Amino acid sequence: MDRDRLKIFLNGVTLVAVFLVLFAFSRYGTDYQVRILNNMAIFITLAVSYNLVNGYCGILHLGPNAFVAIGAYTSALLTMTPAEKQMNFIIQPIVWPLNVIEVPFVLSLLAAGLTATLFAFLISFPVFRVRGDYLAIVTLGFGEVVRVLCNALQNVTNGPLGLKGLSPCTNLWWTWGVAVLSMVVISRLIHSSYGRALKAIREDETAARAMGVDPFQHLLLAFLISAFFSGVAGGLLAHLITTISPTLFTFLLTFNLLIMIVVGGLGSTTGAVIGAMLFAWGGEALRIVEKPMDLGFVIIPGIPGMRMVIFSLLLMLVILFARRGIMGRSELNWEVILTRLDRLRRP
Amino acid sequence: MDDFFKLDGITVQFGGLVAVHRFSLHLEEGERVGLIGPNGAGKTTVFNIVSGFLAPGSGKVYWKGNDITGRPVHEITRLGIARTFQNIRLFPDMTVLENVMVSFHHKLRSHFWQAMFGLPSYRREESLLKSEAMTYLEELGLSHLSAERAGSLPYGQQRRLEIARALAIRPGLLLLDEPVAGMNPSESLETAQLILDLQRKYPLTVFLIEHDMKFVMQLCERIKVLDYGHTIAEGTPAEIQQDPLVLKAYLGGACVC
Ligand SMILES: Nc1ncnc2c1ncn2[C@@H]1O[C@H](COP(=O)(O)OP(=O)(O)O)[C@@H](O)[C@H]1O
Ligand SMILES: [Mg+2]
Repeated sequence: MDRDRLKIFLNGVTLVAVFLVLFAFSRYGTDYQVRILNNMAIFITLAVSYNLVNGYCGILHLGPNAFVAIGAYTSALLTMTPAEKQMNFIIQPIVWPLNVIEVPFVLSLLAAGLTATLFAFLISFPVFRVRGDYLAIVTLGFGEVVRVLCNALQNVTNGPLGLKGLSPCTNLWWTWGVAVLSMVVISRLIHSSYGRALKAIREDETAARAMGVDPFQHLLLAFLISAFFSGVAGGLLAHLITTISPTLFTFLLTFNLLIMIVVGGLGSTTGAVIGAMLFAWGGEALRIVEKPMDLGFVIIPGIPGMRMVIFSLLLMLVILFARRGIMGRSELNWEVILTRLDRLRRP
Repeated sequence: MDDFFKLDGITVQFGGLVAVHRFSLHLEEGERVGLIGPNGAGKTTVFNIVSGFLAPGSGKVYWKGNDITGRPVHEITRLGIARTFQNIRLFPDMTVLENVMVSFHHKLRSHFWQAMFGLPSYRREESLLKSEAMTYLEELGLSHLSAERAGSLPYGQQRRLEIARALAIRPGLLLLDEPVAGMNPSESLETAQLILDLQRKYPLTVFLIEHDMKFVMQLCERIKVLDYGHTIAEGTPAEIQQDPLVLKAYLGGACVC
């Protein structure tokens, strides 16, 4: 009982600390720092929710870019004013009722999450009929279908032109609020009986069924929760960069998420958080390699896309030499830290 | 009594191979019945039919008077039929305790959102289930290993953990697929004793497959013998030991000792 109170207290302290750091950055941080922090939080949300399906359920799902795209478009179309929409849709006018609807940012985020969840529900029936490589291919297909639809539905998404001039509603409080919420919700789920059922399906689906677990029902639960947070993160992303187009939501986005959760450790929420933070920070730090470099005796011209080459090499190295990633399947939380401390004190 | 459990004319074909041919069986509540036969005779296939992993080409499975043929595996388990696997299938990367607790999940009354927000009702349920899981581990002498990774246990203990996990379903019918395979004589004697003890404490009917003749003869009240999918004999251990067909098919004419 005491231990539980202590953990609640320490979690509270951690939250306050995060709050103070965010407060300091929102007051005194440069735009550059704030942007990295916003990216970090959005990546954390995406990686943690992707890891719920890929890490904990052991399902190789390759279509999270579809959820993010749906979330981004949904919330963008809902917050734009009718006038802005008219200005954006120059080739074909936008369909009714989207041309008249305008809702507050928070409602648009909720709608983003729910629309992505609905989409996940609809595709879950074909997706979970198969497993393994087949499931990977099916989800990859759905991811691509959504991107193609974003391109093709000129009167809904404005096609390749994308949507411009969204209001920059996203700030540190929104991004980190959602990131913390997703971490709390998902890690609570994982540590409950439902999480055990999911892990059982990952470890041995045949045995899990024989113990009374219905795989479809549980995989669906994880898939829907994951889609919801990915959709919300998509909405945040749209209102952070204020311009979206179908090219943002290609398979490359999924690939980046895969790098984060594999490097962090598949099946560890802490790992997903670390992976996402490293990726957001690394993405900025490695900008150097895309700039022209003067080594004194030669000048290397900047090569755009060089960062992705480095990330891909990193992924390959991790898979070859440290397959379990940084955290493996373990977590870093107060329970673990307190247990370690106890052991140190009483050897 | 007649309608506790019944298999009626089960036939299973894999392509051209008839794995099980017109297999029928009655079980009465509280019985211990053995299924023996050479490798590839179709014994595991019978278990797969009962537990729902396979649908029979023809024939029916009745549980407490209801036709459950072809129902999904997890539903059959929830009706009270639990099984173990011939080739051990634990959840290797979960702890011993977690392995057992998975079996309670289908009975959980809390919804996922109650679990997710850690509401008091869920926590109470969870701690009750935890202590129930510990009782099953104690029954099988595994309680001191509750925090170990299941995959790191030695072979014999893994077999027993499979039994604990099946027991946590609180089954009416327990199917054991070669429960003492790979154990030495003293371990298999212990396991036989354990099954008898469990039957005294819980309302269990046991249907088991085993190659260890001594084990089957000691434990089972009734035995069925399969060969190439056909039932070639049925009776008490004493009758089976003297059946010429069994001696011929199963042991190539050698004596059953
Ligand atoms: N899923 C399957 N697909 C094809 N053949 C199978 C399958 N399962 C079992 N068999 C075949 O059916 C026969 C009976 O197998 P099984 O029931 O496992 O025998 P045992 O009596 O040793 O448990 C064997 O010849 C086996 O190769
Ligand atoms: Mg077998």
